[in-house]
Amino acid sequence: MWAQVINAILGIWLMAAPGVFGFDKPIDDNDHIIGPLIATFAVVAFWECTRVVRTYNIPLGAWLLLAPWVLGYENTLATVNDMGVGLLVIAFSLVKGKIENRYGGGWSAAWRDNTLHQREAQKQ
Amino acid sequence: MTAKNVPPGWDYNPAAWSQRLPIIILAILGFGIATYLALYQLEIFPTVWEPFFGDGSVTILNSPISHLLPIPDAALGAFGYLLDAVTGAVGGTRRWRSMPWIVIVFGLAVGPLGFVSVLLVVFQPVLFDSWCTLCLASAVISVVMIGPAMDEMLASLQYMKRVKDSDVSTWKAFWGLKSVNEKVK
Repeated sequence: MWAQVINAILGIWLMAAPGVFGFDKPIDDNDHIIGPLIATFAVVAFWECTRVVRTYNIPLGAWLLLAPWVLGYENTLATVNDMGVGLLVIAFSLVKGKIENRYGGGWSAAWRDNTLHQREAQKQ
Repeated sequence: MTAKNVPPGWDYNPAAWSQRLPIIILAILGFGIATYLALYQLEIFPTVWEPFFGDGSVTILNSPISHLLPIPDAALGAFGYLLDAVTGAVGGTRRWRSMPWIVIVFGLAVGPLGFVSVLLVVFQPVLFDSWCTLCLASAVISVVMIGPAMDEMLASLQYMKRVKDSDVSTWKAFWGLKSVNEKVK
């Protein structure tokens, strides 16, 4: 969970960075869009049952690595900031963390066959 | 929490009050904030509390987006939180199988409400170059509710999968009719 807490903070930082450093368009728009999304996915992934949502941040982190070049940032600080945050977000998205409880086989068990909850139900 | 209400293949009961009560409290808190903002938007309160961003809240709460629909967006948010609180509170601790429909409505209410608040958070700086403190607080609440609400929905979806594989009517099980109760574990 600690990894997702860090990603939530990184997302909030991205929301604040344009104001802190005075970034102009399109940098501020990009940070203001991607920041809340990263923070949201990270917070949802705090809980074990929805930990899988952490992986949604991998494409967002990858976009932050590309954005300075695709959008043509003319600001070194913004480029370093976006790419640095992107790299960290990808790294922490890959950390699964502890899963202490069982969830009947997880989300795919709602449509797959022969999953944990079905086997356990048959035993009862 | 009684062991018999723990879904098969689980270590705890996601419909236990200890699991649901924090979400209900958050929903009531969100309802309070959204109601306050709606009353400002309906011009019942003349001013709005904004400790950090100057005219931010005034700009956001009077923006064209916030008045896109016949009722102000905060009123819609208040309705969403109320739906979350009610669908979170209805039913006993075995509701993941005794009334799957309410659990699924609950999950569907919590999920999209959170998503819409995040969308509105994006709109604040991108379209109007402003921030609104209480709108952000409301968004945080709706996002924090998503994770803990989803485990109960998962238990109900897995139950519905077991019903589908049995000879019990999926329709009757979904509405939790007494005739099908306890037929599927």
